[in-house]
Amino acid sequence: MIRIENLEKVYKTEEIETTALNGINLQVKEGEFVSIMGPSGCGKSTLLNVMGLLDKPESGSYKFMDTELLKLNDRERSNFRKANMGFVFQNFNLIDELTVFENIELPLIYNKVPAATRKAMVNEIIQRMNIVNRSGHFPQQLSGGQQQRVAVARALVTKPKLVLADEPTGNLDSSHGNEVMELLCELNEQGTTIVMVTHSSHDAGFSNRIINLKDGHVISEKINKGITEELI
Amino acid sequence: MFKLNLKIALRNLKRNFVISMINIGGLSIALAAFILIVLYVNYETSYDKHNPNYENIYIVGRDLKDFKTNFTPPPLAEIIEQNCPEVALVGKMTPSNLEFPLISDAGRIYIKNTMVMNFNAAKIFDLHPQGGLKQPQGEIERLYYLNEASMRTLFPNKKDSMPELVLMGGKTLGLTAPIQGKIVPNPHSNLQFDGVAIGNNLGVAEGFGFPNYYTYIQVKPGTDIKALEAKIDRLMKAGMIKEKIDMGSLKNERVFLDPLANLHLKPQAGNDTNYKVVMALFILSMLIVVIACINFTNLTIAQANKRAKEVGIKKVLGSYRQLLTMQFITEILIQCVLSMLLALMLAELFMPTFNNLFEVPLSLAAGAEELYWMLPLILLIVTFIAGVYPALILSGFKPALVLKGNFEAGLQTSWIRKGLLVVQFSIAVIFIAGILIVNRQVEYLHTEDTGFEANQVLVIKNQMMYNKPEVFATFRDKVMKINGVKSATVANVVPGGEQTGSNGYTVEGREALLDFIDVDYDYFETLGIKLKSGRTFSKEFKSDTLNAAIINETAAAKYGLLDPVGKTIRGCNIDYKIIGVIKDFKSQGFEAAVQPTIYAMKNPCGNPRLSIMLKVDAAQMSAVLAALKAQWSGINRLDGEDFRYDFLDDLYGRLFKKQEQLKAVFFTASMLTVFIAVLGLFAFAKIMTSNRRKEIAVRKVLGASDFQVLKLLNSSFLWMLLIANVLAWPLVYLLARTWLDTFAYRVELSVVPFALAGVISLLLAVITVSLQATKAVQANPAAVLKHE
Ligand SMILES: Nc1ncnc2c1ncn2[C@@H]1O[C@H](COP(=O)(O)OP(=O)(O)OP(=O)(O)O)[C@@H](O)[C@H]1O
Ligand SMILES: [Mg+2]
Repeated sequence: MIRIENLEKVYKTEEIETTALNGINLQVKEGEFVSIMGPSGCGKSTLLNVMGLLDKPESGSYKFMDTELLKLNDRERSNFRKANMGFVFQNFNLIDELTVFENIELPLIYNKVPAATRKAMVNEIIQRMNIVNRSGHFPQQLSGGQQQRVAVARALVTKPKLVLADEPTGNLDSSHGNEVMELLCELNEQGTTIVMVTHSSHDAGFSNRIINLKDGHVISEKINKGITEELI
Repeated sequence: MFKLNLKIALRNLKRNFVISMINIGGLSIALAAFILIVLYVNYETSYDKHNPNYENIYIVGRDLKDFKTNFTPPPLAEIIEQNCPEVALVGKMTPSNLEFPLISDAGRIYIKNTMVMNFNAAKIFDLHPQGGLKQPQGEIERLYYLNEASMRTLFPNKKDSMPELVLMGGKTLGLTAPIQGKIVPNPHSNLQFDGVAIGNNLGVAEGFGFPNYYTYIQVKPGTDIKALEAKIDRLMKAGMIKEKIDMGSLKNERVFLDPLANLHLKPQAGNDTNYKVVMALFILSMLIVVIACINFTNLTIAQANKRAKEVGIKKVLGSYRQLLTMQFITEILIQCVLSMLLALMLAELFMPTFNNLFEVPLSLAAGAEELYWMLPLILLIVTFIAGVYPALILSGFKPALVLKGNFEAGLQTSWIRKGLLVVQFSIAVIFIAGILIVNRQVEYLHTEDTGFEANQVLVIKNQMMYNKPEVFATFRDKVMKINGVKSATVANVVPGGEQTGSNGYTVEGREALLDFIDVDYDYFETLGIKLKSGRTFSKEFKSDTLNAAIINETAAAKYGLLDPVGKTIRGCNIDYKIIGVIKDFKSQGFEAAVQPTIYAMKNPCGNPRLSIMLKVDAAQMSAVLAALKAQWSGINRLDGEDFRYDFLDDLYGRLFKKQEQLKAVFFTASMLTVFIAVLGLFAFAKIMTSNRRKEIAVRKVLGASDFQVLKLLNSSFLWMLLIANVLAWPLVYLLARTWLDTFAYRVELSVVPFALAGVISLLLAVITVSLQATKAVQANPAAVLKHE
């Protein structure tokens, strides 16, 4: 589904240039659950941002189901993003002024889903996430784990083809972290492709494949749980 | 979508309640001031605009080189009528300032300001007296109309519209006149009167030597005014040559046409001070709005940190820049609409006070026509100025950056915000220094020596003309018998803004235009005017009533006379002997320079002497007034039955009314400006310190003292303030110079107001910032860091 070739990303500041991605080649198949690991500062978040069209690389190619995404303009990028992708962040990133329900509803509004359908979809996912009695609360009134579940619900409600998660358990204790990981697995089993950045090999253990980055390169790939498909 | 955005906006407003209130409140106060002033400016600049021929009406004036006047000789109207087909109507009128009583069975009024005009003048000014505008019969008939109040006093029970007879002058005179009905002058017209007399023709007996009439013309649309002006100029000169008048000054004289639109604020024959005041006010009001907009912009951007995350998330979820820009602009528009509604309420609330101060009948309802299109326009402009920039900043945040968690929105925009703050501070400094300077000048006007003593001088209103000293002598003898009256005199004008006439006078072959004041014995003594050389008029010299004259210093200087006493000065066919020179005194207030003036007891070219002045002993003032009242009919038998008087210092004080008014307005506007600026600073400091809470906590954990942190928070503002002061001072200097130059007598500009403005602004800033900073400094760092 995703084919990335020779991706390069350089951050220029007044003093120095940092090459965050230095010729990344990588493919993700439909229905896969891929983990990206590596030391701090090796470019994991940058890669995920580029994949989520939140950041533009200097060069390279990024094909999504044979569409070259790097050629899109701003408007097309945001259209593509809202139709195909969902995000989960380490620090949840919920809008503080909106309730749980409204936060989850927001991406549906951007996708121009009619109000009645919207309500049904949000309610369904709220049930699935087990946060029904919290739907009128504001983010500050929830625990970290609950907030992350809302964030996952918000990422899933549009039924995206690809979910990008940047250290989704980074701010959670292990039991809350496991809850979130189970949610992601369940989702993956239903066919959603997931790319997750993590520092925890425990979490990475849930995925099909682990990609290791160092200094902006892919240095190794490892297939998990004896999945037999041939991957490059 | 809109609903959710509205929710976000409202919840943000609620969460940052104080800031939001400052934002909306400050803008509403500024807009309210703006609305009031726009209404006022509109009112002041639209005098007579209701006249259907507004654009085609001109007054004919004469430029006499030394000064300009709107007084023209009466035959000019007929000559224009006969020779200028492009002129549709020619009107002439003359104000009759002679105050006399009208008496009916029901009551008595004193009518002062009567306009005597011909039928066409009434038509030009679109007058609608009771019963409609009627053409008088023949050459003699005058149709008299009175204002509403007078009609009510004289004929309280009148229902019909038949003419009524009244007695004119004192009862003993036995003169009667028919009053046709009432006439209501439009308060929004240049033409104001208590009563009107309409005739077919006026001043028939007076030739080109009697420039006592206003000549108004209504031209046909499309007339070439320049050509008409030249034509009337030629007609005027031809007329004067025919009557052999004043050939010497002819070549300097020129006729001008002044459009009706100019007459209220900037007549050619007059000055444009009022126009300047009105325009200054307008600029003031715009400055206030600008300050409020700067506040709005700055506060919105300063709060950007709080909105950055929202922007990032929305972008991740599929929003894009234009959509977000629209969202923020809508949000700001809604706040502006709220401010506007509040502003309208505030304006309505303060309207009565404002109307009182300026003596205008403004109202939101009456001004609605203009406001109808103006307010939405202002709304859009303010939204644009205050909203577009912050909206662009906010919508431009990069999601990958802001969602990392420790994003500082302020960093990229700080120099613009600082620049805006500096501009705002500068304006505030200008206003603070301005208040100080205006105050000092007005103070000066009140305390500075005027060159004469207006205290304890009674000015008695009177209809008896005391042109002959021997007639006034009997009057003087009678009043001097009253205990407490120190001196008595009579003149054609009193010092206090009344204009006297002027004439050409020649000394040693040099001709100059002098103001003439016709006086009686004891004039200078009554007014306490000081003598420079020679003597004042005295009964010991018989010739004083015939050909003695006194001039002032300015007149002596005008002729270049070092020792004028004993010299001959010729004017009005009399060879006067100069018997004394007086020191200049400021009879026209401080705005006008003292005019070269000649004082004489005999002046065939002069005006009636009606103004009696008595110097009274302060301790016996009330006794003197009581005695005068009781004995008045005996003292002044030919006058009306009433004893009516003014105090000279009151009359003279009215000259400063405009300055007082200006001071009041300027003061209010300045306070408002400074208030809004301080409000903005307060909110700004609040946001800044809250954004720096973590930094403050960390510094304290690392050992910074409270004072060090306070200093840190203040220092950035103090720098901006210093720059603002340095920028503002030259501007203040220029503005103050320009304003002070409108006074002939003024204070010197010193450094004091500048330095004071600097200190005041500094104090205001330190107090405002420290109020906020202290709170942040006193917070427990552990709690702050845990929260983060
Ligand atoms: N906005 C930026 N400006 C300049 N350099 C940046 C910026 N963002 C990231 N970098 C640099 O790019 C490199 C990669 O950063 P990235 O955030 O992708 O690391 P990461 O692998 O996600 O690390 P971590 O595990 O700590 O989150 C780092 O060296 C970082 O210093
Ligand atoms: Mg990272």
